[in-house]
Amino acid sequence: MSIRGSVAVAGVEWSKLFAQLKVRLALGACVAGPFAFAAAMRLQSSLPTDTLFGRWVTDSGFAVPLVVLGFAALWVFPVFASIVGGDVFSAEDRYGTWSAVLTRSRSRAEVFAGKVVTALAFSATAVAVMAVSSIAAGALIIGRQPLINLSGVLLRPEQAAVSVVLAWVSVLAPVFGFTALAVLISIVTRSSVAGDGLPVLAALTMQLLAFVDSPAITRPLLMTSAFDAWHGFMTEPPYFKPLLYGTTVSFLYAVGCLAVAYRLMLRRDVGR
Amino acid sequence: MVTRPAVEASGVSKRFGIREALRDVNFIARRGELHGLLGPNGAGKTTLMRVLLGLVRRDAGCVSLLGRNVDPGSAPLPDRVAALIDTPAFYPYLSGRANLELLARLDGESGGRAIRVDRALVQTGLAVQADDAVAGYSAGMRQRLGLAAALIRTPQLLFLDEPTSALDPAGARDVRALARRLADEGAAVVLSSHDMSEVEELCTMLTVINGGRVVFSGTVGELRMLAPAAVHTLRTSDDCTALRVAAERYAMKVTPIAGGGFEVSAAIEDLDAYVIGLGRAGVAVRHLERRTRSLESLFLELTGHADPESAMPAAAADEPLHESSVAS
Repeated sequence: MSIRGSVAVAGVEWSKLFAQLKVRLALGACVAGPFAFAAAMRLQSSLPTDTLFGRWVTDSGFAVPLVVLGFAALWVFPVFASIVGGDVFSAEDRYGTWSAVLTRSRSRAEVFAGKVVTALAFSATAVAVMAVSSIAAGALIIGRQPLINLSGVLLRPEQAAVSVVLAWVSVLAPVFGFTALAVLISIVTRSSVAGDGLPVLAALTMQLLAFVDSPAITRPLLMTSAFDAWHGFMTEPPYFKPLLYGTTVSFLYAVGCLAVAYRLMLRRDVGR
Repeated sequence: MVTRPAVEASGVSKRFGIREALRDVNFIARRGELHGLLGPNGAGKTTLMRVLLGLVRRDAGCVSLLGRNVDPGSAPLPDRVAALIDTPAFYPYLSGRANLELLARLDGESGGRAIRVDRALVQTGLAVQADDAVAGYSAGMRQRLGLAAALIRTPQLLFLDEPTSALDPAGARDVRALARRLADEGAAVVLSSHDMSEVEELCTMLTVINGGRVVFSGTVGELRMLAPAAVHTLRTSDDCTALRVAAERYAMKVTPIAGGGFEVSAAIEDLDAYVIGLGRAGVAVRHLERRTRSLESLFLELTGHADPESAMPAAAADEPLHESSVAS
């Protein structure tokens, strides 16, 4: 397997992605969503007080990306992970194009690596676009006021900005974990419907297990727990244990899923 | 220096569950050769092509293309090997040209990519529709695009699986001419087809597969010679006596022909004995001619699909044909 070959595959996949309407729409929603939310908060009198930082959302623009982050962790990130990860392999089954792809000068390993890199890069791009958009929406529509953290300490705007960026960076690990899970489902089922839907279902199930009275030891093993690890940045003093657990668990999910997926990719028969 | 064949496969076997798709298949195709791959539906032609290309993993055997071993798990397909397998499929939301450009990018060569794509589109008659979305292409246009996708690899070895099945007669003629030109330029072309006349017209070498086994491999001429029961037309001075002699003394099938004479289906040694027997019986042979048999009838015999009324002895249909076992 050569890096050059994998990069060539990733380049082709990236071109295919941006030729698809659903991908452009998803990224457009990442840009427009936070602005719409911030504008709605500015215009309405009631606040989402039942969410973290919801009560501060009109007092500090830095609360906006954190409220968006809390909502996205529940609903949006698993969707980001599955939009491309759940479709990047099964789309070739749907269109019947595996024969065309695998009769070029690229090994299966290079095709696998290129597609996985594309899926991970898209997930990261979507998170980054949403982060930038929500920070910009908060700053432009609400303002760059100081932010009160979860311990009641007032953070200066520059401290708040650093904490917000770190909070968004911290969700990349579980997003990659869910992307890897979507890749595995895409390869196993050869179905884009399953590839898009099952990772979201898995995320909802994990969130449900976190809410119910499951044994305490199992909670850190749920990938969705890592989506809340950023709460530790917002306390005084900060704590990083959940981030460490979450990143490790996400890494193990990603490595496990990709190892199985790679094995299946090498062994599969194309057409019978 | 001895040039290795473009395709060398030996002892290739493949099983899907309990179904044995290929059994101990040996296959060789040389450069400059148009090699026909024949067999009834489900015989294993497409599976063999997929195994040769590394799309399907073989259970046993060795495959080498253009001198390089094919291992589906590790190595990519060698450069300048191209294929058109089954009904070609493309990304429907992209144009024909965009599809080809993406496939050319997968091949990795940037030099002259656009020129090769344009040339392939012209060669396959798709230049005018090149910028239309593939979603609107007909089956024939997709087949042409599949051929164009193969041509942009400037193939030295080209696999064509039923390449004219969706084409109109003019398109089919163009594809045949293209295949012949590639072979004339030194490429090996392996062509599977159900159209016997197409194979007969194009191919110099043939491999017939039935039930996952190679039942014949050789030239078209050899196939004709290897026919298990050659058919001759015979006219004699006394057809009634000749028929009676055949029925009484020789195990052969004799069928009267309207207008006089009859057809004799027999191995050549039996025919020799019969003609001598006619002379002894006082019957003169006035006309004896080996009838040219169509490839189709031979194919049907080889694959055990012959009309039960036809001339082939039952045992011959069950056994694979080898030069040593068949009278010539």
